[in-house]
Amino acid sequence: MTTVERRFPEQQPDALFVPEMATIGRAENLTAQDRLFEIELPGGKDLGHKPGQFVEVSIYGFGEAPISVSSSPARRGSFELCVRKLGGLTGKLYTLGAGDSVGIRGPFGNGFAMEDFEGADCLIVAGGIGMAPLRSVVNTILADRDRYGRLILLYGNRTPDDILFADELEAWGEDDRNQVLVTIDRPAEGWDGHVGVVTTLFEEITLDPSRKVVAAVVGPPVMYRFVYVELAMMRIPEDHIYFSLERRMKCGVGKCGHCQVEGKYVCIDGPVFTGEALREFHESI
Amino acid sequence: MRGDPDNGVPVAIARVRGAFCPQCPGSDTAGEMFERSERFMRRAAVLSETGLREVLARACQKTRLMAPVRRGKTSFDFEWIDDPDAVQMDYVRTVLPPKKAFLPVREMLLEFARGAQQAAAPLLDDAPFVLFGVHPCDLTAINQLDWAMGKRHGVADPHYVARRSAALIVGIDCMPDEYCFCTSVDSSDAREGADLFLTPIDAGYLVEVLTDRGEQPLAESGDGRDATPEEEAAPRAHGAEKKRRVTTRIESELEALPDLLERRYGAEVFEETAARCYSCGTCTNVCPTCFCFDVGDEVDLLLASGTRERRYDSCQFLDFAVVAGGHNFRGERVDRVRHRWFRKFVYLLREHGAPFCVGCGRCSKFCTAEIGLVDVLNSVLAEAKEEAVR
Repeated sequence: MTTVERRFPEQQPDALFVPEMATIGRAENLTAQDRLFEIELPGGKDLGHKPGQFVEVSIYGFGEAPISVSSSPARRGSFELCVRKLGGLTGKLYTLGAGDSVGIRGPFGNGFAMEDFEGADCLIVAGGIGMAPLRSVVNTILADRDRYGRLILLYGNRTPDDILFADELEAWGEDDRNQVLVTIDRPAEGWDGHVGVVTTLFEEITLDPSRKVVAAVVGPPVMYRFVYVELAMMRIPEDHIYFSLERRMKCGVGKCGHCQVEGKYVCIDGPVFTGEALREFHESI
Repeated sequence: MRGDPDNGVPVAIARVRGAFCPQCPGSDTAGEMFERSERFMRRAAVLSETGLREVLARACQKTRLMAPVRRGKTSFDFEWIDDPDAVQMDYVRTVLPPKKAFLPVREMLLEFARGAQQAAAPLLDDAPFVLFGVHPCDLTAINQLDWAMGKRHGVADPHYVARRSAALIVGIDCMPDEYCFCTSVDSSDAREGADLFLTPIDAGYLVEVLTDRGEQPLAESGDGRDATPEEEAAPRAHGAEKKRRVTTRIESELEALPDLLERRYGAEVFEETAARCYSCGTCTNVCPTCFCFDVGDEVDLLLASGTRERRYDSCQFLDFAVVAGGHNFRGERVDRVRHRWFRKFVYLLREHGAPFCVGCGRCSKFCTAEIGLVDVLNSVLAEAKEEAVR
């Protein structure tokens, strides 16, 4: 698989598990369960992440949880996290707003190999909250648009109310070089767009067989096998398909064991794996 | 004498780790951050039983002492002790391994005040102590942990490193029972990691001095004298007798295990074992090489302050691989059961060049369902061989 340079946060070795205290600059609800936070590190320094990397977010008394970064590295002075309230930490985080502080450790993981996307047509497949890390990929492409070929985004959600970044999706679609297709699982009142799971969007797109195509996929675990099949039928080589795996990374530094996929640690060797790498595992998806 | 394994001096770390994984950057090392014993002992001394108890008494007074003590009729455990007479010299195995000296069952990583804007300071315990009475299998395990917590993935765990660097380790040789299989995993003669190593002899204990740090307790003791050539031969003879008495064996060369096991990923015996297993996590809790942990916050009653703690976790627990939203990547017990054997004898053996099992026998001895680690392994190997014949 494409190797991505391993990076570790610049922090005091003794403070490996001590989060840096950051401030929430802005917060807004995107849906009934998702909230977008702008996070400012002390001194306005950059997080220095790659698309697809994650941070460990801390609230003392509530613990820590791995959250993928939702803004692109092109954004300076702050970064964004899109958080779905699902557990203790994220439930508490959802109640916080501008001026509140949160702890940050990271960034961790390998991130997407963006160099592989350069010059290629980029097929982005998102399911639900998977849009959060993929927004970082999309914005990285848009920030340096000429470096990349077509951008095709397929985005599936359960209901129209779950769609994240609706305004941005619309803006992205205005450029001729971009194609943005959104679907919801079942018909819903007031929705006149595409209906069906995300794989049904593959019928709507045509790839140029003469062009290199690279795919990035993030969504719920159940989505991966089906998307894999679609991508294989489109003859996208396995080493140009990138999946980001979800695991419960407790430490982020390859120690605690929670994110092991057989011999690999998702926090170190992932979270992004190529289709080729995933095929070696029994228990990855 | 020194440097001559054929002349009665036991070889400490002659084995070359990672011999079958030359590309692996971590495979030849347990970490340079700790003072390592050299390949062969520097010198041998003799301490009487009384002299040794005095050394332990001094350790209690000057620093802290963790050593095996008797807990029940047949059970022992490593504990922080004040009374040197409580130290149990002769025991087969403790319930919890000595890893708890470096990786406590529960430990505080940091203290916090709720709503604080300032970064907390990490809590590092670097007060010197003596860890006494470590058997060769457990020494081997400490070396495995030095790699896993010390430098694997390019990151050292500061809490582990602080405790580990503060320890003076005294090993002691042992005799096996029916659960021991150190000879199958190359751990019966281990010295690496120890500063001193004891073998019982008629005059008391033959003391192999393995590091500079190990000279100190002897220098402070008036009791130690140089060993005679006959006494210097004692460790080798003791080691040979120990090996002769080991009855439990893994029926394969270590190097062959990863491929053999992988070929039997779906082995019947994992299903059979899962049908008996309670997922209680005893096997991983008592394992000297298991190091997975959970992290959580503990808040005081007034909700004003608290601590971030880590504690042992187990890949055998149902919720170990659950993610936000509830998906469980190892929701089937057979997947968790298989993971334990694969982790020890496939993944980490490949990555580190040595199995993450040191033959101490704890998991088999203390298993509530009487699941034997070697029995399961040998069943898989038998299946693999049967398949190869067909």
